Amino acid sequence: MVIGVFKQSVMEAIRLEKVRKRYGKGVLALDKVSLTIEEGELFFLLGPSGCGKTTLLRSIAGLERPNTGRIYFGERNITDVPTHKREAAMMFQSYALWPHMTVGENVAFGLEERGIDGDELVDRTLEALAGVQLEGYEDRKIEELSGGQQQRVALARALVVRPKCLLLDEPLSNLDTQLRVEMRGEIRRIVKDYGLTAVYVTHDKEEALSIADKIAVINDGRIEQVGTPDQIYREPETKHVAAFMGEVNFLKGKVDWVVKDTEDEYVVRVLTDAGEILQGKVTEPGWRPQVGETLSAALRPEVLRFDDSGDVINQIQGKVLERVYQGPTIQYLIRTEIGVYLQVAVMNPRKLVEPGDMVSITARQQDVVMLRP
Amino acid sequence: MNNKLAIIITVIVTLFFGVFFIYPVVDILKEAFTADDGVGGTSFTWDYMFTVFGNPIYLEGLWNAFAIGVMSTIVTFLIALPLALAAYRWVFPGKKWLSVLILAPLVLPPFVGAVGVKHILGVEGALNAFLIDFMLMDANSPTDWLGKSKFWGVVLMNALHLYPILFMNVLAALHKLDPAMEQAAQNLGASPWKRFRKITMPLCMPGIFAGAAIVFIWSFTELGVPLVFEYSRVAPVQIYEGITDLTGNPTPYALVSIMLVISLGVFLVSKLVLGKNALGYSGRAKARYAEKTLSGLWGWGMSTAFILVFAIAAIPHFGVIFLSVSGDWYGTILPESMTLAHYGDGLGHSVVVGSIRNSLLYSFGATAVNVVLGLAIAWVIVRSTVWGRSVLDALMMLPLAVPGLVLAFGYLSLSDGVFSPLMGATGDPMVLLILVYAIRRLPFIVRAAVAGLQLSDPVLEETARTMGASPGRTFMRIGLPLIGSSLSAGAILAFAFSMLEVTDSLILAQQTEHYPITKAIYVLLSMLGNGQEVAASLGVWAMTFLGISIGAAFVLVGRKCGGMFRL
Repeated sequence: MVIGVFKQSVMEAIRLEKVRKRYGKGVLALDKVSLTIEEGELFFLLGPSGCGKTTLLRSIAGLERPNTGRIYFGERNITDVPTHKREAAMMFQSYALWPHMTVGENVAFGLEERGIDGDELVDRTLEALAGVQLEGYEDRKIEELSGGQQQRVALARALVVRPKCLLLDEPLSNLDTQLRVEMRGEIRRIVKDYGLTAVYVTHDKEEALSIADKIAVINDGRIEQVGTPDQIYREPETKHVAAFMGEVNFLKGKVDWVVKDTEDEYVVRVLTDAGEILQGKVTEPGWRPQVGETLSAALRPEVLRFDDSGDVINQIQGKVLERVYQGPTIQYLIRTEIGVYLQVAVMNPRKLVEPGDMVSITARQQDVVMLRP
Repeated sequence: MNNKLAIIITVIVTLFFGVFFIYPVVDILKEAFTADDGVGGTSFTWDYMFTVFGNPIYLEGLWNAFAIGVMSTIVTFLIALPLALAAYRWVFPGKKWLSVLILAPLVLPPFVGAVGVKHILGVEGALNAFLIDFMLMDANSPTDWLGKSKFWGVVLMNALHLYPILFMNVLAALHKLDPAMEQAAQNLGASPWKRFRKITMPLCMPGIFAGAAIVFIWSFTELGVPLVFEYSRVAPVQIYEGITDLTGNPTPYALVSIMLVISLGVFLVSKLVLGKNALGYSGRAKARYAEKTLSGLWGWGMSTAFILVFAIAAIPHFGVIFLSVSGDWYGTILPESMTLAHYGDGLGHSVVVGSIRNSLLYSFGATAVNVVLGLAIAWVIVRSTVWGRSVLDALMMLPLAVPGLVLAFGYLSLSDGVFSPLMGATGDPMVLLILVYAIRRLPFIVRAAVAGLQLSDPVLEETARTMGASPGRTFMRIGLPLIGSSLSAGAILAFAFSMLEVTDSLILAQQTEHYPITKAIYVLLSMLGNGQEVAASLGVWAMTFLGISIGAAFVLVGRKCGGMFRL
């Protein structure tokens, strides 16, 4: 690999301050979004379609102009800098390869626009193609390439100009599953090798969890939570984040007592209507639930397990309704005495539980997350 | 920054349009509704309207023009609709070539074709000669087919010339239809006929009416054909003849105004009432309609039907071709002798040679103006977010609603006044003709450029900008090359049709040295000696030229040319 040539130190942090964008008189796409993306970070904007994540990315690229708010690259306010002077190369979902140019011409475009010509132009173009394993493809036509190859050309085209940051808009959504998994590893490798600040938009949580340094979960034009994949998945701060990141069971209960633990987190105990006692941690920063308040305990299917130890805390009784075999795991649907449905995923089970059986399930305190209802 | 440029373009275009399109039209209305009040001022008056509506000759002329418009549209429909449906639904032998072939009649201005028709259907024409030879008609009392009914002659000429436009419109509308609409009906058990009546037709109405409106306005204001058929009881001819004594005679203005109002009305009705953008369009067609292959006899039958339509529509063309090479064609089925002398005469004739040069000059000029304006306008409409760009879009379609007759008349009346600086030293109408040609064809090229831009994903341009290309460079390197083919096709068509502009050429070019081809043909027709034959040879040149142009346009954009007439 000839990556060394590209190694660069121009990467910059990206900072958004209260960026607000409304389309016409209609939808509020971004509602005062503030965000800091550190230099060299592979940062994900994750959310359902229409949540504003693409608008946010396009604002960073300069393709949308925020109504209010500021955007900084490093210390420089670039809010009013036109797209072509931002040096933020973007890769689009459709790849946007120019059909009237060859692979080589596509990749060389950005260099030409920067006034680079002669040997340097050729060398850097070929290097960039080699960097995405497309040596010898420079004279091909775009329509001769497979989807995966087109994706690589688009990536090479974005990287060859040594951008200050790389913006990726759902870059893998047009590939089949296997290639997608392969390419996401490839993208992370390239971003890290080149030392780029990269912003990556997707609705695919798996993609985000697997390669992100940090993830911002966006909903309705607002940022719900920013954190590492592990934080986002295991310590969601809102019900929306918890539900968006994967299957989750919510149990409502009234706060019984609250205490601060050694790590300066609040630990809360709640009583459900069925009389179960649940104990877990509060993830929302700065929120101290009051005794008597109603809240939701979030439990992922895989943190629940069958247990007949007779403990009282975090113990739930129910009847097995369904059993679904899913290969690595077995998923059970369980109905508690008062009619709450729970999903339980058991990995590598030693013993199968049959539908109709009464079971008792449990979770560890650190796996129970207490959220606003 | 983007929008600043868009605003500048919008302002310039609107100004241009205001001065060279709106103003001449408004000026006609002004002349038609103001009178000297005797004390040096002017005042509003209905007098000229009363004059027109009180005069049975003018009333008849207007009525005839209207009837020609309506009947031409109906006949055009009867030819074009079945053809379009067949081309949409079925595959049959030679379909690809046949659907291009039936567009061929477009290559000849109908008034030239009318000359050919006269030699076939006239008293001493080929048809009568044929009938007499086979003892089907008494040689001593031949039927005067055209003399009996000049009205239907005009209708037929219009329909045979205009059906390709409707054909392309309907076909384009059908292709824009989401095939799932029909499949769903089929799936629910609708018979083919019911599917056509309940689903296909209603969904295609906007396209059909847009095409029908163009056909109506075109034939309603057609000047050349009635002139050649000497059918003078029709408003456009009355207006044309009124030009000779324009000073102090407001009646032509009043007539023109009435035609303008009717044309505008029809256009607006087709746009607003019937042209509401229907549901059921998939925007860009996602799936193609699965054409059914007509097998055996049915397939060949359909091919024959297409060839038959072409053969009938090409009668005028063959008439013109035969006339151009005939030594003597009078009372015989085919010319008695063939000669190329008329082509030789034509090339030695000052009117002919000058007219070819003039036409090229005017049409090149008009096309250049069109390409620049069309591109700029299309860019504003498709890519900018400027307020009022949809108004601009609608404005650009207006020249379709304003007959060439009206515009030319407006220019003519202004050429003594406000527009006089635009006239050359010796009354050279070059600038005026370039402008009027350009305005007349602007809708076509704007459509072509808009369609091209809409089809090319804006993301392709956005990418270039994130790669460091300025908006201008982006347009030059990405935007323009991508729409190049549809734009050049639009330009070729605009150029070709400028070459064949009839009405405005007849009206605005008044001196022999400034005649474009069409006016030269018209003047030659009434010359003694071999004037008709030389005119026909010039017509053949024009046909060849336009045929090649349209062919080139088709090669450039495939069969999507119909989109350019979808207005």
